[in-house]
Amino acid sequence: MDIFEIFRLSITALKANKIRSVLTMLGIIIGVMCVILLISLGSGLQGYITKQFESLGANTIYVLPGKVGLEEGGFQQPGAPNFSGSKLTLGHSRDLKRLGGAILESGAGIEIPVTLKFGNVAKYAKAQGVTDNFFSIYNIKVEEGRVFTKADVDLKRKVALIGQTVKEKLFANSDPLGKKILVGEERYEIIGVTEKKGSLSANNDFDNAAYLPITCTQDQFGRKNVMFIINQAKDKESIEEAKVQIKRYLSKKGLKEDDFSVVDQASLLSTINQILGVLTLALGGIAAISLLVGGIGIMNIMLVSVTERTKEIGLRKAVGARAQDILLQFLTEAVVLCLCGGGVGILLGVGGSFLAGRWLPTAVPLWSVFLAFGFSSLVGLIFGVAPAYKAARLDPIEALRYE
Amino acid sequence: MKPLVELVKVSKKFKMDGVCVTALNHISLTIKRGEFVAITGASGSGKSTLMHLLGCLDRPTSGKIYLNGQEVSQLSQNQLAKIRNQEIGFIFQAFNLLPRTSALKNVEMPLIYANVPSKRRQQIAKEKLAMVGLLDRLYHQPNQLSGGQQQRVAIARALVNNPNMILADEPTGNLDSKAGREIMKLLHQLHQHKHTIILVTHDLNLAKVAKRQIQLKDGEIVKDTHAK
Repeated sequence: MDIFEIFRLSITALKANKIRSVLTMLGIIIGVMCVILLISLGSGLQGYITKQFESLGANTIYVLPGKVGLEEGGFQQPGAPNFSGSKLTLGHSRDLKRLGGAILESGAGIEIPVTLKFGNVAKYAKAQGVTDNFFSIYNIKVEEGRVFTKADVDLKRKVALIGQTVKEKLFANSDPLGKKILVGEERYEIIGVTEKKGSLSANNDFDNAAYLPITCTQDQFGRKNVMFIINQAKDKESIEEAKVQIKRYLSKKGLKEDDFSVVDQASLLSTINQILGVLTLALGGIAAISLLVGGIGIMNIMLVSVTERTKEIGLRKAVGARAQDILLQFLTEAVVLCLCGGGVGILLGVGGSFLAGRWLPTAVPLWSVFLAFGFSSLVGLIFGVAPAYKAARLDPIEALRYE
Repeated sequence: MKPLVELVKVSKKFKMDGVCVTALNHISLTIKRGEFVAITGASGSGKSTLMHLLGCLDRPTSGKIYLNGQEVSQLSQNQLAKIRNQEIGFIFQAFNLLPRTSALKNVEMPLIYANVPSKRRQQIAKEKLAMVGLLDRLYHQPNQLSGGQQQRVAIARALVNNPNMILADEPTGNLDSKAGREIMKLLHQLHQHKHTIILVTHDLNLAKVAKRQIQLKDGEIVKDTHAK
């Protein structure tokens, strides 16, 4: 019996019992669909976050207060940045900029949750006290108006830029430029609106923010120190040298090892990618468990099918089918079931991921489709072998007598 | 002329619940090509066992069986399967057609295991179905055919590989007398076309249609109308 014949036989047998075949496939369909959906979510998230980080400007080096554990890239003991106990100051940032060398730019920032008010509309957002070079380092563009000048910061002018989300909530369709809003208790004049930037995380929404000169923020909220210092290295090759420079300077200024972390964008990104990569695989693995369950369902039904068709098997053997013909026939049925289920599952998974793509970042990687397909054939083979073997070993005389 | 089937001192023993049962006891038998033989006997006489051995569905515990001059008593399962496919045609009491499958596909089945390509298979199957008078029922499924028609499909299936012998096990057992007569008539016609037919039945009247009757009792041949 050649391979085409076997396929045709299997499909005929499966078609003879359409409803049962579909129900059996359901386990595989759901399993494969989940694998594809979850992997696409993980992949999409990875892509999204990578894109967000990369849009922030390359060669960026962050100095965070406390030990964050992300310095060398990879995953060490993670700690949270110790913002309230920060020993970093505006002076440090100014000195670093003056140092030059591998350091091209150095700015600083303070982040305070605050309520913004215009007229009788209020918005809960973040007040970002920043230096004038913050916008260029972070690659934040203005939709209208302008960014701070050095004078704005030095002279503590009460000027502000607002993000898209704030603009939409407080100003709807009118033009915010020139108007005054309340940031906490103080009044600021709007000199610019930033372009839509998105967010890095729940805590890092660039659009739901009001950017103030850092000097004003320090005064208004009584902060002597800054929450982070952000630097730009001259070029990609200078990043390591810049990191060394920064560490040396801060140590000279009396800060200890545990008081700060110097993290460069590249290692941060690689850590995040690593974590998300593991997450994606873990999600896929969990979904694969349901594939396993589907396989058990297949084995179950094939066993029932073999018992039900005992007479048929006896007859086939009587007219000349060898044990291996019977084995191949039933094994192929199981594999065909799984491949069909896999195909439908892949279609549903890809379709579902397009649908979910309207609310969440999703991206179906091609390798996951091949993986799902390969896996479902494997499931068919593994879980189909036992029933097929049972069928092949039936004695034709006994089988023909079976009631 | 070389006999078609030759059994030499063939015994078949079964172990049932630890007890050894002798179904056939040193049987010797010769059947020539073109004969129409009926094997009769009561339940437990060993006629089913004899049929299974003649049909190469089982192997004897001792003794030798020759089919067409070839010793088949100790062949492997796969070799026996090939012989069943090429040289033997089975007709069962319960028809044993594949349900939810057309008459045509049912008849084609032995040809699949003979590796006959699809177009040729259909052609041969149609021929044999025409021979048994069912050309207008090719695509009917067993549940759309009467008992007699189903058995005729089974006969067509048995003929499909041009076997050396046709083994019929109580072919009319599940049929009413009219249908039964039609089937026996068909078997008679096949015999006239030079087929070798071995009929196994407990009905002595049916056995009289055959030219030779062999009676079994307790695993031994007690009467053979051809005995010398």
